[in-house]
Amino acid sequence: MSATPPLFDLLLALGLVALALGCLFDRHLVRACSVFVGFALSMALAWWQLGAPWLALAEFSLGAGLTGCSLFYALGVLPPGSPLPSRRDWFREPFRQAAIRAVLALAWMGMIGAALRHSVPVMAYSPMQQPLLLAGVAMSALGLGAFALHRHLLRRLLAFNVLGSGVFLLLAGLTGTMAHAQALIITGLGVAWLGTLLGAMLIRRLYHLQGAKALISDNESIRQKRQGP
Amino acid sequence: MSIRFGLVESSVAVLPFTQPALWVALGLPCLLGVLGAWLRPQRTWPILLAGLPLAASGIVLLMIVEQHGLQRWQLEWGKLTVQLRLNGLSVLLLLLTQGLGLVAALYTPGELRHADPAQRRLERWLWPLLGILVGSLSLIWVAADLLTLYVALELMGLSAVGMLLLPGKVESLVAGIRYLLLALVGSLSYLLGVALILGHWGRLDLAGLVQVVEAGPVAWTAAALLGAGLALKAALFPLHAWLAPVHGNAWVPVSALHAALVIKASLFILLQLWSVLIPDSLFAAQLVAWLGVIAIFWGGGLAWRAVELKSLVAYSTVAQMGYLMVVFPLLLGPGIPASVQGLAWQGFWLYLVGHALAKAAMFLAAGNLILATGNTTLQGLTGASRQLPLSLLAFGVASVSLIGLPPSAGFTAKWLLLRAMVIQAQWAWVAALLLGTLLSAAYVFRVFRYSFVETAPHYAFRALPPWLDGLALGLALASLLLGLFAYGPLTLLQGSR
Amino acid sequence: MNAAWLPPLALSTSLVAAVVIFALPESAWRWRTGVNLGAALVKLTLVVLLGYRVVEGHYDTLRFPVVEGIDFVLRADALGMMFAGLSSLLWLCTTLYAIGYLENSPNRKRFFGFFSLCVGSTLGIAMAGNLFTFLIFFEMLTLSTYPLVVHRGTPKALDAGRVYLRYTLSGGTVLLLGVVLLYSLTSEHSFASEGGLETFLPDHRGLLLLIFALLVGGLAVKAAMVPLHGWLPRAMVAPAPVSALLHAVAVVKAGAFGILRVVYDVFGIELSVELGVTTVLAVAATVTILYGSLRALAQEELKPRLAFSTISQVSYIVLGVSLFGPFGTIAALTHLLHQGLMKVTLFFCAGNYAEELGIHRIDELDGAGRRMPLTSLAFTVGALGMIGLPPVAGFITKWYLGMGAIQAGMPWVIAVLVAVSMLNALYFLPILYRLWFRLGPAHGHGAWPEERRLGRLETSAWLLWPMVATALLSLGAGLFAAMPFSPLGWATAVALGEYLP
Repeated sequence: MSATPPLFDLLLALGLVALALGCLFDRHLVRACSVFVGFALSMALAWWQLGAPWLALAEFSLGAGLTGCSLFYALGVLPPGSPLPSRRDWFREPFRQAAIRAVLALAWMGMIGAALRHSVPVMAYSPMQQPLLLAGVAMSALGLGAFALHRHLLRRLLAFNVLGSGVFLLLAGLTGTMAHAQALIITGLGVAWLGTLLGAMLIRRLYHLQGAKALISDNESIRQKRQGP
Repeated sequence: MSIRFGLVESSVAVLPFTQPALWVALGLPCLLGVLGAWLRPQRTWPILLAGLPLAASGIVLLMIVEQHGLQRWQLEWGKLTVQLRLNGLSVLLLLLTQGLGLVAALYTPGELRHADPAQRRLERWLWPLLGILVGSLSLIWVAADLLTLYVALELMGLSAVGMLLLPGKVESLVAGIRYLLLALVGSLSYLLGVALILGHWGRLDLAGLVQVVEAGPVAWTAAALLGAGLALKAALFPLHAWLAPVHGNAWVPVSALHAALVIKASLFILLQLWSVLIPDSLFAAQLVAWLGVIAIFWGGGLAWRAVELKSLVAYSTVAQMGYLMVVFPLLLGPGIPASVQGLAWQGFWLYLVGHALAKAAMFLAAGNLILATGNTTLQGLTGASRQLPLSLLAFGVASVSLIGLPPSAGFTAKWLLLRAMVIQAQWAWVAALLLGTLLSAAYVFRVFRYSFVETAPHYAFRALPPWLDGLALGLALASLLLGLFAYGPLTLLQGSR
Repeated sequence: MNAAWLPPLALSTSLVAAVVIFALPESAWRWRTGVNLGAALVKLTLVVLLGYRVVEGHYDTLRFPVVEGIDFVLRADALGMMFAGLSSLLWLCTTLYAIGYLENSPNRKRFFGFFSLCVGSTLGIAMAGNLFTFLIFFEMLTLSTYPLVVHRGTPKALDAGRVYLRYTLSGGTVLLLGVVLLYSLTSEHSFASEGGLETFLPDHRGLLLLIFALLVGGLAVKAAMVPLHGWLPRAMVAPAPVSALLHAVAVVKAGAFGILRVVYDVFGIELSVELGVTTVLAVAATVTILYGSLRALAQEELKPRLAFSTISQVSYIVLGVSLFGPFGTIAALTHLLHQGLMKVTLFFCAGNYAEELGIHRIDELDGAGRRMPLTSLAFTVGALGMIGLPPVAGFITKWYLGMGAIQAGMPWVIAVLVAVSMLNALYFLPILYRLWFRLGPAHGHGAWPEERRLGRLETSAWLLWPMVATALLSLGAGLFAAMPFSPLGWATAVALGEYLP
């Protein structure tokens, strides 16, 4: 561990993880989305730092701009129309179920992390040399855990986006910023935005049809509806 | 195995006509989709007319592959290279996609005409999405590098989700958003696998990867990541829960296409990538096969207990994917004799194609029955055999193939698979296949049991235009006759050129 | 000279008829009847032509590959033509009968469509040139008979259909496994190939035994051998023409015919003897024969009694197969035809009693001979034939079975035959006694359960004449057994020409 990592990278990595934590575990949804925009901006910075200006631009426009807009649209903030009444996620699941899901997700991520460490020599010898790669691992683990933990659709969308950013960082860390990797990441960013947009539209529509309850669970509302009459 | 996918490095001179035909096959569906959104066809003949050049391109490609064997392209685009290849398998799947896409498009006006006006707000969007879906599926069959595959996979996934959401009912939205989220996570897993491959071997073209990949932790991890992501998208057994609600609530041609092709595309990619990455892995293939065995019985059991007609059809998809999973140890693994692998290979694709045709036919027939009876449950079919003989006949012929009774494609495929398993003395798989057959017969015949009841009160059935039944029956018969006339397609599949 | 188009043409007559019938509207009675009868006549002609060509030595064969190494083969050979002739002849009779029987009942279109499919599959079974093709038509038969069994749509019929499917689909699956095992042992093995399996005897004796067990086990379900017979009595809820066709020709005979094929054409009779399976078959057949007869004795309704009698009678064929030697073979082949003719007659009679007089139970038959003399005469002919009394066809079979038993060195079979004949007499003679000698409603005692006057004669002409025809045929087959093209003559030719060393 002779060489110290570049300080800026380290700070950036720490900042990214902190922002990811913030946007994933804040129950106040507007705040969480705002944090996500900040997170996306730091991602753009990270791409710049990694020497991929095109990616930074894409992240800035697609990730921070369009995805952020989609999220705010889902929250009913952006076109100042009919806002969602509660912008907090109060839903709590029985602890055991949530814990089992989160543990499963983290175990899966842990396995991947171990395998990465095994398969990528840099990680094995001097993990601290690659703070962004580490941040990528942490972010994808957090994202997957949150994705498994949360039931609120918007929070799941957020979790997916963080997971995606983590995977992109990992990809860049593993491959460098060769043309193919950039193409993959840009496609991934586009898909993430389209998916978020679609999800946001769905959330609005569901809220319109069913009220706030529809946003919380996956299929329980349907199941209850079936059993009702 | 990878040779069978046409993943060989060769410099074949590209023949004239090939490239234009390929562009037509890939691009025309999207173009037609846009046109459809603009014109919103209400009749079938314009759709049929528009589909003709598409089918012509497929047939031209078929003839080229039949005469000249494998075709490869390498397109440079800046620093990116895109690799495409066309062999017997891709051409067959391409033709299947075009045919099923055309049938779905032909069925659509009829479905929309009878749909609830409240659900038709977004009908305009169906056409471009259908076009993109067919185009991206076609791209999946011909793509030979991981980047193109990723792009095509995402296009397909998003357009599929979009199509499934169009009815706008609460149920379809809830099912759709769940599918969307899972599919997105699945593609991230895929991407992570690709990242490992790119990071370690520095290339994405499959034919090149075949040369450089060596077994080891990287290959295993990448295969696991790719496998998990694609299995999620293909609704392979433990990851199948999203499938039935999605199919149950979408428009009929959409469910038909989705069950017939979209999930199969993910399976296609999965098998292709595994044959590159872990051609000799014993464990992974065995794991998939055991999951497949569970899927056969789990899916069959769920279908047996299903209350609604469409969910019966959807759960049967879970079980049917199980049969395909069971074949994995005969395709991948150390020291499989070429003869066994050949049998399993033919059986696998014949089963997939036969199931695609039969499942699409079954969804269309089920849709007809639901449209006519106005009731989505099995119970609503009581006494339908007197009123709706044609729809039931289509359902029946499709289920013959689904169960795997002769002379259907399902039967011939099962025959090939059973022979491969018997030669390899894999008795567990043989038992699973045979018992699964009986189970599928059990759940399919529930439908007929209801429909033959004569003592039931007579419901008012709506009369349907006969071409709706005709489409379903045509697909079902195609699946049936494919079993008897499988020789041509199978030689095309086997062609090593 | 190979006329490859002839077998598929004969097959397509019933398939095309099925398609046309499905396409016609329910109300098009005339058209449907015309198509039915026309197809039946054309098919009979074609089968006779095929049979004639077989006699001349042309085995017309259609062959194309389905999968590498496996062909779809339709081949006209002597044994197949025997079965095909029987099925097409009885199809004609049964169609006529069914047209009268189902007059004014609902769902006739569905009935006749599947009826044609069912007969088409039977012809396919008869002409199948290898086990793969045989299996295709065997399963097609299962599927096309299901709608006929559940035709009435009552809960009882639906249950019967479910039981029927359970048995036959399981049997089909077992058969499939056996066929696949056989193919993986031998690759292509058509019925026409000479010998072949003997070469595997030293190394694969156990496997051969297993394959034989699977094949015959799967076929025995359709042949309704004990203990796999449970579906047959229940399937009696179907309309009478279906019972006639199912029990006399299509389904049970398909099973028995399959066993014939497996023993003679796949394994070869010498190999079967060598493996020791013929003794097992003989015991199984004996058990079935005795059990069926005993159960028949206990039935109080007419159709179930006939059903159990079928279970018993079909196993005569299997018994004949298991008796090594020309007489056993001849007995098996002859009984395939004779039993079909006689059983069809009996079921037609039972249907007529039910339609005309509403009779279902045996004790309601008192004095029916006076009211319906022709029907009762036909019934008498059939019943006497079943018992095995001389002029009727059934006698021939029993005689040859007995000779075969002596030839094969299994004299205990004769004891069984005598016992079964006694049982047959015990359950058929009381019926005849009631028909002719008891006084009943026709003599002014009591009333028929539900009398309808369907025609100028004792019942509708559609119901009457097919029955008379089959009764005369059963009588004729016995009386003119020595003629060259009688069932016995054909069976002897087949047995001596093809299967015996």
